Amino acid sequence: MATEVLWWIFATAIVAASAGVVLSRSIIHSAIFLIGSLAGVGAMYVFLTVEFLALVQFLIYGGAVTVLILLALMLTRMGVTGLPEKVNGPQAPFAALVGVALLSILVYAAAATTWPNNLTDKPFAISIETISEKLFVDYGAPFVIASALLLVALVGAIILARQEEGE
Amino acid sequence: MVPLENYLVLSAIVFSLGVYGVLARRNAVLILMSVELMLNAVSLNFVAFAAYLDPDRIAGAIFAIFVITVAAAEVGLALAIVIRLFRNRSTSNVDEAAIMKW
Repeated sequence: MATEVLWWIFATAIVAASAGVVLSRSIIHSAIFLIGSLAGVGAMYVFLTVEFLALVQFLIYGGAVTVLILLALMLTRMGVTGLPEKVNGPQAPFAALVGVALLSILVYAAAATTWPNNLTDKPFAISIETISEKLFVDYGAPFVIASALLLVALVGAIILARQEEGE
Repeated sequence: MVPLENYLVLSAIVFSLGVYGVLARRNAVLILMSVELMLNAVSLNFVAFAAYLDPDRIAGAIFAIFVITVAAAEVGLALAIVIRLFRNRSTSNVDEAAIMKW
């Protein structure tokens, strides 16, 4: 019972923070809300007994990715006027329409389907050993490909963002 | 325990908010943040489905790890492009970066 109350608290926090990301008028506030939303999803991974994934989520998303985004915000701001910038385009009402339509379809699909619930039968935590064994043995090839992708992407990012001579 | 539907509805809400953000925002970095929201909703869905429906309960976590990896690569590249765009055209507004628009 206590778990469910906690779950609802975290779910409300995630929805509120995510709404803050897309509705806030200040870009910096959006970035701060994003940290909250990502940390909330990390808490959801704890509820789903995947503690390792929660740790990865906090470290990589809550730490690295948001710092990267804040850094990019810092580098791409025109002037510190203090005036609220115009962050939404004229298409915003249509975007809201698309969002609401998608949400209703997804919620209808989730509610109309009968899902078997296995978790209540045999709840068990997923240990780091299990995850590493799966990752390095069964999913070894995708792991290597993903690491190559990461390397290429980061080298590409450095080349793109580099200040060239004579510029 | 919390039923699976709760996770699905939560992730649907976050995903829809992300879709709204991608379509409505004009600043490239804000669009990127909304994309992160959508990726997170999808990861949450993967893990929730695996926890309730997969006998091993592990495949979803592996998928989520790959999603995080690809998202990190994507964020690095996209921010490099945004910084490049800002240096060349002094804006990070995607509506003004329209020279390839026919």
